[in-house]
Amino acid sequence: MTRDRHAADDAATWVHRLDQPAMDTAAGAAFDRWMDADARHRDDFADMQALWHSDALAEALRAHAVATPPRTVAAPLVRRFRPARYAMAACAALVAIGLATPALLTTTYRAGHGAGRSVTLADGSRVDLSGDAELRVRLLPWRRDATLAQGEAFFDIHHEADRPFTVHSGSTDVRVLGTAFNVDRQADDRITVQVYRGAVSLDSAHGEQVVLRMGQGARVVADRLAAKPAAFDLTQHRAPDWRSGWFEASDVPMGVLVDKVRRYADQPIRFADPALADRRVSGRFRISDPDRVLGAIRAAYGAEVRRNGEEIVITSNEAAHD
Amino acid sequence: MSLLQFDDRADAPPEEDWAALGTALGRYARARTNRADLVEDVVQETLSRLVQQCRDRRPVSVYALGFRIAANLLVDHHRRDRRYAGEPEEQQPSDSPLPDRVVAGRQELVVLQAALAAMPPLRREVVVRRRLHGQSCAAIANDLELSLKAVEKHITRGLADLHRALATGDEA
Repeated sequence: MTRDRHAADDAATWVHRLDQPAMDTAAGAAFDRWMDADARHRDDFADMQALWHSDALAEALRAHAVATPPRTVAAPLVRRFRPARYAMAACAALVAIGLATPALLTTTYRAGHGAGRSVTLADGSRVDLSGDAELRVRLLPWRRDATLAQGEAFFDIHHEADRPFTVHSGSTDVRVLGTAFNVDRQADDRITVQVYRGAVSLDSAHGEQVVLRMGQGARVVADRLAAKPAAFDLTQHRAPDWRSGWFEASDVPMGVLVDKVRRYADQPIRFADPALADRRVSGRFRISDPDRVLGAIRAAYGAEVRRNGEEIVITSNEAAHD
Repeated sequence: MSLLQFDDRADAPPEEDWAALGTALGRYARARTNRADLVEDVVQETLSRLVQQCRDRRPVSVYALGFRIAANLLVDHHRRDRRYAGEPEEQQPSDSPLPDRVVAGRQELVVLQAALAAMPPLRREVVVRRRLHGQSCAAIANDLELSLKAVEKHITRGLADLHRALATGDEA
């Protein structure tokens, strides 16, 4: 009993420490060790963290606070929740089984350096992965999920009416309504989607939702839809450019273009000046030919490209003349 | 050039660690929402975001980051649900709980209010200021003329008291 009480006090202390604006490395490591040490610690912490965040606690405190108004009022912590039911110990075992299993059903596909490869999923869907792409797929009896962790992928999804297919990339979700489409994870917060057949529904983390139909594309930047869905020419583009080694850039950061070139380059490419990576570029680039793209960057955007035998360094012109 | 297929064990931390974290996140999410489908979604999404972030740079604490991501995802889902239901954005959710949450919520509220009433008044005041008004520990210490250590002790003891009250209330 004293032991239980001790563990509960420790859990409360950690809830408090995590509630502070910053956590240092030593404290973070100590917290992970403490959580790893004992299932009881994890249960107590999860319960107390939920209690601390709960609406029920805020409501109970509000009733007591009326008598003693504070001098300083800041924004309350988290308050957009409905009162939550308190987790009972009896449920714990059930939860453990229910949650551990799906994680084991995940398959990870990775394409190495170069042009990428095709993969056929267990449901008959086909996915073409770009070079250096990583896709995690989980096929459950009632739903199918794919997470594009890196790179670019063209999906040709086998339609199943009662088993939806969703592609997650960053905080963007693409729900498939039976279709062929391309998802390009250009950066963690920059995703573009183009639909070649059928339709998809695009959900940004900000709750915006848009349905893209054949020949339409959209871009999500920093969790928001960057523009209205735009049409692209399906007669010109029967399949995504990257599959034939091209990339059509329309006002994208140079860093995104260079990322695509990296799939094909035989040496690491580095920006000496990070600001250069943010500079906007437009045009059609043959990314499967790194030298040509780097030549174009040099000619059109005033950058110097240097090779030192181990890596390729892109510097701005001004810096090069210093 | 080759495409490799393998399961997550190969490059991620040992599977059992993720399972333990997943279980803890599930327990947390389950206590925060009555939607079982949402619990699974939140846990899976949290774990997949964690895997990504750990690859870029190891966080100060994997567990702390996991719980923060899960809390944010719950807020997002909740907002989205409210939008679909056509409810006004700024309405206080606690004013209008879902019908099936009312009973459990009321019981929990009664237990919490009783536990707060039984608390030493100073401790209760510290908890109100920290959790309800979001005051920093330093500001609370200053206002109430307490040491920082004392403020922290009141918060953690107060939380442990409330937790205990709910745990024994569930058994009864």
